[in-house]
Amino acid sequence: MSGALRILLIIGAAVTFLIVVGRVRKEMIQIEDSVFWIVLAAVLVLCAVFPGIPTFFSNLLGFMSASNFVFLAVIAILLVKEFSNSAEISKLKHKVDLLAQSIALHEETTGDLRVGQRD
Amino acid sequence: MNVLAVIPAYNEEACLEDTVAHLKDACPDVDLLVINDGSRDRTEDICRSNGYPHLTMPVNCGLACGFQTGMRYALEHGYDAVVQFDADGQHLPEYIPAMASHIAQGADIVIASRVLAGEGPVGARGIGSALISWLIKITTGTRITDPTSGMRMFGRDLIGIYAASFDLAPEPDAVALFARKGRRIVEIPARMRERQGGTSYFDMANIIRYMSRTCLSILLFQWFR
Repeated sequence: MSGALRILLIIGAAVTFLIVVGRVRKEMIQIEDSVFWIVLAAVLVLCAVFPGIPTFFSNLLGFMSASNFVFLAVIAILLVKEFSNSAEISKLKHKVDLLAQSIALHEETTGDLRVGQRD
Repeated sequence: MNVLAVIPAYNEEACLEDTVAHLKDACPDVDLLVINDGSRDRTEDICRSNGYPHLTMPVNCGLACGFQTGMRYALEHGYDAVVQFDADGQHLPEYIPAMASHIAQGADIVIASRVLAGEGPVGARGIGSALISWLIKITTGTRITDPTSGMRMFGRDLIGIYAASFDLAPEPDAVALFARKGRRIVEIPARMRERQGGTSYFDMANIIRYMSRTCLSILLFQWFR
């Protein structure tokens, strides 16, 4: 793994860390949702400081170089995260639907909207 | 001293009746509010047929959200203290008056501690609890013997803070945060029972999620809140 890539990984991790902490401080992300990003930043730093770790997995899986392995691993992790975000959004959409329905049904039962139906 | 017992209930048909009956029996002066967190079982029927004061979330929104609902209710109705009380029968209402007297003397949080009652750390839960206790000690200097005890009482100030919070769960990391902010936290020795029915939401995935969130929150994020 080249020195430049290792430095980039550390810079990327540091920027990620600062953004996440800033958002938590400003109450724009919940701690539960920030865990993934902090762990990811920590793993990136780990790979940069101990290049033996990505090199080991790279050799094990037959990659041409450790850098290739790091690129693919990052893409794979982000794809998984993206999918789980999609699933989470689906769940939230469904919850919003249910909430809207509950409010609508509740308003109907309180009687305000029934006036027009009486003959 | 007006005390409200907030009882979050998600699919607790098996033990809710016994829990509430025991609570009413032991503490007739304490008001209770069941938060039915979108249960899919008979929890709602039980609340209605017994006439329990209850709020029903139209969807399941989690313990923190349900508890915050209870805190908002307590704020609107001017309660002096709120006790977090499990629906599954683990918590013994006999300790509520002693907890309330500490609130009356100026405590912000009172925790019913199993450890102070002589119960050693048991199994995986005990190890997790001891780890959290140690993290709180090194980050805040406060010794909380039983940070994972789910039976906690909060005073007026904290009711307001919880009611308005963005991301504050009734969990150990909040206890750590309040300890660091100089809030008065008191523990009293308390026994607890085994869960009397139903199932715990703590499967392996949830334990990992809970521990990673709690540890990271105590070690890292509390410095920025």
